[in-house]
Amino acid sequence: MNFRKTIRALAVGASLPVLLLAGASPEAPLGLTLGREAAAIVGAPATPLSYAGAARRTTRRVVAVETTAATAAVATTAAATSAAAASAAQQQQAVAQQQAATAQQQAAVAQQQAAVAQQQAMAAGLPAIGTVVPALPAGCVAAPKGGVEYYRCGNAYYRAAFQGNNLVYVVAQP
Amino acid sequence: MQSTIRTRRATRFAVVFAVVLAAALPIAARAQPAGIDAQATRLLKASTDFLAAQKQFSVETRNTLEVVLVSGQKIQFDHSARMSLQRPNRLRAERIGDLVQQVLYYDGKTLTLFNPGEKYYAVVAAPGTLEEMLDMARTQLDIVAPASDLVYKNAYDILMTDVTQGFVVGKGVVEGVRCDHLAFRAPHVDWQIWIQEGKEPLPRKLVITTRDMQNAPQFSVVVTKWNLRPAFTASTFGFSPPSGAKKVDFVPLAKR
Repeated sequence: MNFRKTIRALAVGASLPVLLLAGASPEAPLGLTLGREAAAIVGAPATPLSYAGAARRTTRRVVAVETTAATAAVATTAAATSAAAASAAQQQQAVAQQQAATAQQQAAVAQQQAAVAQQQAMAAGLPAIGTVVPALPAGCVAAPKGGVEYYRCGNAYYRAAFQGNNLVYVVAQP
Repeated sequence: MQSTIRTRRATRFAVVFAVVLAAALPIAARAQPAGIDAQATRLLKASTDFLAAQKQFSVETRNTLEVVLVSGQKIQFDHSARMSLQRPNRLRAERIGDLVQQVLYYDGKTLTLFNPGEKYYAVVAAPGTLEEMLDMARTQLDIVAPASDLVYKNAYDILMTDVTQGFVVGKGVVEGVRCDHLAFRAPHVDWQIWIQEGKEPLPRKLVITTRDMQNAPQFSVVVTKWNLRPAFTASTFGFSPPSGAKKVDFVPLAKR
């Protein structure tokens, strides 16, 4: 039991850096409710049938990474191509590629803006509405309203929900 | 005691594989062809076809999930599961373990997840057949029903997707039951299955090794009990919230 507590403590303390380093998702195969432990975990194995599903999930993450890589690649290619462009066809291709690169850069900027907005909300002491956490922060109290079970944690309200098989808590506006 | 048995078994297989790898057993080495051995697929297909032909059954399993910590250390989490199934559209799957306490109910109309520990449940409308329900649960809600691979009638095709190698390891004994032991390889994963000998070729054990992950964690399922003549009632598959149970929502997948 002590060991499990230690894992939980380790997980809570180290969750963000670990997730960033490992690029791991807290979701567990077979929908096991790993909860707080999950954050300390680098990897869990594929499970029956879900290994096809796990492959799909992996694909999703890989796609995200590849898109970023492709942005860089396209930008590089576009620069190189436009410099060396001899034919109109090549130039058109380069323009198209540059446009694609620009669009992707804009998407990246939008993402950054969203991240900044969330950071500002965090700085104000309030997590963004819809933020999903695997466990309630410390010191929450039950605050039911309109027949819905809310938990008040400081100035933020959470409600329980299922995300896949996992029970999670979502920042809500009662 | 069980862990001792498991350790012994693991050691035995490690030894067997080491010997095979060392090609000290030419016969065993010959029995491990580069491709997929027809005998292995025949045994597997017999098992999945047999299960697909069962109108109803219940099965109890012991599951072990290994996870790899940042330190590289491997930790095992156990849970036991029981699944009750009635084709074409009834399912109840329960899991109780270190990390999970959950019951999934499907009555042909709705899908319910219930966590008895926290007393939370969520209900969603579901399609009219088991297979459609499982597809919907997985793709729209990211819910995986335990052992749902047994439910699909095309389980063989699902299991064999991307498999590049397969062979018959030999005979094995799982929970006292004599089995054929098969081993397969696919990209990212190796898996082994033990199938009961005789007229009822039921799967008795399954081990999946995730090869491309640090320290190759494994998921294993050992069947402790098969019942091909279960007695089900309406309450087996229908959920009625116990007093104090609180209804919550599913987080839509699109928001993630």
